[in-house]
This record gives sequence, C-alpha cells and structure tokens, in this order.
Amino acid sequence: MTDTSAPTRIRPAVTKPFDGWRWSGRFFLVLLLIFTVMPMAWMLITSLKTGFAAMQYPPQWWPAEPTLENYTRLLDPRNAIGQDFLGYFWNSMWVSTATTVMAVIVAVPAAYAFSRFRFPGRTFLFFAVLLRNMFPAIVFLVPLFILMRLLGLVNTHGSLILTYLTFGLPLAIWLLKGFYDNIPIQLEQAARIDGATRFQAFFFIVMPLSTPGIIATAIYSFIGAWNEYIYAYTFLTKHDQMTLPVGIQRFFSENATDWPGLMAATFMMSVPVVVLFLVLQKYFVQALTEGAVKH
Amino acid sequence: MWKQRADYLYVLPALVVMLIVIAYPIYYTIDLSFFKTPASLQLKDKIFVGFDNYTTILSSASFWKVTWQTVIWTFFSTLFAFLLGLGAALALHREFVGRGVLRALLLIPWVVSAVAASYVWKWLYHSDFGAIGALMVQLGVTDQPINFVDNTSSVLPSLIVVNVWKEFSFAMIMLMAGLQTVPEQLLRAAKVDGANAWQRFWHVTFPHLAGVSTVTALLLMVQNFNSFIIPFVMTGGGPAGASDIWITQIYQLAFGRQRWGAAAAYSVLLFIIMMTLGYFYVRALAGNDDKRQGA
Repeated sequence: MTDTSAPTRIRPAVTKPFDGWRWSGRFFLVLLLIFTVMPMAWMLITSLKTGFAAMQYPPQWWPAEPTLENYTRLLDPRNAIGQDFLGYFWNSMWVSTATTVMAVIVAVPAAYAFSRFRFPGRTFLFFAVLLRNMFPAIVFLVPLFILMRLLGLVNTHGSLILTYLTFGLPLAIWLLKGFYDNIPIQLEQAARIDGATRFQAFFFIVMPLSTPGIIATAIYSFIGAWNEYIYAYTFLTKHDQMTLPVGIQRFFSENATDWPGLMAATFMMSVPVVVLFLVLQKYFVQALTEGAVKH
Repeated sequence: MWKQRADYLYVLPALVVMLIVIAYPIYYTIDLSFFKTPASLQLKDKIFVGFDNYTTILSSASFWKVTWQTVIWTFFSTLFAFLLGLGAALALHREFVGRGVLRALLLIPWVVSAVAASYVWKWLYHSDFGAIGALMVQLGVTDQPINFVDNTSSVLPSLIVVNVWKEFSFAMIMLMAGLQTVPEQLLRAAKVDGANAWQRFWHVTFPHLAGVSTVTALLLMVQNFNSFIIPFVMTGGGPAGASDIWITQIYQLAFGRQRWGAAAAYSVLLFIIMMTLGYFYVRALAGNDDKRQGA
C-alpha cells in the first residue's frame, strides 16, 4: 500500500494517492453484491431449465437449452397448474390491494391526529402501536383464529384483509406520522385564517403535501400483504382461495419437487413487489428511516 | 387542541381496529394460558388449570434446548446482519457512480417474500443438486457436497446465513440514514488534526451512530426472535429439532399438536420478553430525541 502520510512533494492534482479504505470498501461491496444477487440469479437460471437439466451434477451453470416452458406452463389457463397459479396470483392481488386501500384510508386521519392533536390516551395508543410491531404474528394466530371463526370469516379473504390490517395499520400510522410531523403547522393555520375548516385544511393542504408519505405507506402495506404467509397458511384451506406464498407449495413435495417450476413461480411472485419497490424506493426508504430513526 | 368532538373521528376507526386486533388477542392469550382447552378449540369445554401449562413447558426436556437455539439464532443473525449493514452503509456513504443502483440491488432480498427466499435457498443448499455444494467442490473447498440443512450440526448456521441475507439491508438503510446526521465539519476537522480513517470512524462517526445503532440492533433482535418463515419453510424445525426456535415451537404446539394452553403460555412468556425489549427500545428512541433537541 502507498504510504499517504509521507511528506508530500508538490505533484499534479490529478494523481490521487491510493486510498486503501476506499478500495477495501469497494471490494467489500462487490462481495456483498455477489452474496445478495447470487440466489436471485440462480432462481432465474433454474427457472429456464427443463426438469431433467436441473437434476444434473455438477449443475449446468447456464442452461444448455434455455426454455420458457416453465413460465408458459404457469401462465396458461388451459392447464390445471396454470389455472391454479393465475388464481393464486389474482387472490394475492385482490387481498393486497384491499388491505392497502383500507390501511391508507384508516391510517391517514389517525396519523394526522397523532401528529397534530393532544388527546387523552394518545401516549397509550402510540405505545400500543409500537407494541404491536414487536409481537410476532404467531402469538395472535390462535386468538384471531377463534375470532375469525366467531365472525364466520374462516376460509374467506375477509379474514386475511382484516388480519393484515393488524400489522399494516400500526406501521402505516407510524410511518405517516413521521411525514406529518415534518409539514409545518403554519400552512394549515394560514388556510384556516383564510376561512378553511380544519378538515378542509387537512384535506386540501396537508394531504397533497404528504403524497410521498402516502405512496410509501401504501407500498409498504402492499408488500407486507403480498408476502404474508402464516395467516394465509392457517386461515385458508380451500385451494381456489389461496394466495401465492401458500399456493406455491404445491410445487414442493419431499420426493418429487418440480424445482424449475417452483423457481419460475417464486420468480413471478417476486416480480410485482420488486418492480414496485425499485420504481418507488426513494419514498420507501425515506418513510422507513423517518419513522424509525427519528421517532 | 382537542376542542371539537368531531376531532375524535380522525382516530376512532384506528382505535376500534386496534382494540379488536391488539387488546382482544392479548387478553385471549393470557386467558388461554391458564386453561386446558380441548383440541377442537371449543372454548366452553375448557378447564382451569392454574399455572400448570407454565410448569409443564418449563420442565419439558426440549424447552432449554429450544431456548438455547433461539438465543444462538437471534444473537448471530443480529450480529452479522448488523455488521454487514454497517459495512455497506459506510461503503455507500460517499457519492460515486452507480451508488443508487447498487443500493437498490442490495435492498432486493429485504423486499422479496421470505417464502420465495426460503425455497431458493433450499434449492441452493440441496444435498445432491445444490449450487453451493457443487461450487465448493469445484473450487476445492470440500471433496463432497455438504448436507447443509439435513444435518443437525450445520442446519442452524445455514439458516442464519439465509436470515442474514434477508435482513442485512434493513440495517443498511437505517445506518445510512444515521450516517447523514454525522457532521461533515467534525470529520474534516479530525482529518486536519491528523486522525486516520479508523480514528475518525471510532471517535467521530461511531459515537454519532450510537443512537441509531441501538435502535437498529434492538429492532433486528425483535425481528429475529420472532422469525418464523425461514425455519418453518426450509426445515420445519428439523432435523431432530435442531433448528427449532421459540416461534416454530409455539406453532407446533398450537396447530401441530393442538396443545392450545401450552402454546398460549409460551406466548405469554414471549410477551414478557418483548415488553422488556420494547422498554429498551422506547428508552433508546427517547434518548435519540433528547440528543437532537440538545444539538
């Protein structure tokens, strides 16, 4: 390594000294990137193989005869697997969208209230939000299962939408409050002096300013619902109702797993959330760090 | 600020949902933990047994084994996810070409569903056709593919790798946000005073990151303690219970063996642990707030 602390002669400004820290940082990032991307790449590569090609040792690092057959099989409603897969896909879409819409509708006014008003029970409620985020889904599984049975919602998508709100909502309130805290209260006050009601000020001034926050919250709810597994696994027993994370298991069995089919299915299951996330990640990262780091 | 009744309408929907989904399940879990409830979950037939469920759990042979595995799982997952996240955050802190793309790529595992990730890693770890085993043989690390997840001694470390893969990027974004609060002038001043890169990190950056680090580490701990999908989908807690942790144990007790009371008692113990962690989390957050107001 170059000794950068040696007394320097005057040299052309373009020659930068070798910066060991920077280069080890780059090297670390490359290794980390390989670690991060490798499983996703292998998922994609396997999904392009035939069942026979996947079961070879040593593995074909690149498929000798790449095929889209696994995808066409899954996307073709004329065969049984395609029908099921597309069914799971739409079930996931519907449950996640409904959860997201409801979470946003309920969380927006609540987060606004948390940010602006002081009311009895505020601290308690906020602590409850926090607490809910610390408890695993599983400890709520039995009680919610009993509740859903009482409400007659077992084996319906309603049970999932309601349950997903239990974790989506606290988080949505938490994230959105961070955004409202950063919107100057003077803007509303000015509107109210001009004769707007509190609700008008909220609806026409604050809401539009918090659009990035609302988008981030919506993505977060959507991804959470799309990826949820435990409740869907427990509450739904009928095949035509299953969501993707649960339905996908039909490709898996101890003896004869259709690995290329499974990898194609996991790939297609990942596409919507990854695309959504990559397009809107700026908002998403901002919201998460606002809410979590700054309280 | 709480002048009008109508203001309650902002929070009321959230309040109702939260009462149903937080207060009710917690109450129910505590209640169930003192009863012997029939497998059918017919609540009218439950029998009061006092603390029996608790003593049964605590005196069972598997309890301490599972607890020890949970501690290992939580500790090492948290440690490595934190360290990788910190390394990535530091390496990505300075602006360079392609930084945004790199950050987005590193975030993908965190967005991808845990079920999809579990299946991909199961395939990578496959004892006959797994890419990792084959690669290790080709590189001359081992002469035979390793049985990563079918072996009691390697299963837990193998699952920890998957878990770290899945969540290091959470630590990364949190710490990247934290790094932005480190004052540039202070770093420059330290450099002028002759501090080397390590000294600058240790004496300037690290103390400024302490608050965010505590919060991040606590959140990771909570997440890891509560993680379910990776061990459940990849190994189901096996082989021979070697990858069983508290959460998979609770699920097994409840939905596998219909021992609702024991599962509830486990959950109550888990509540207590989480409340303790929650207490430290709130204190850490409050500490961060004070510092910001003082600055």
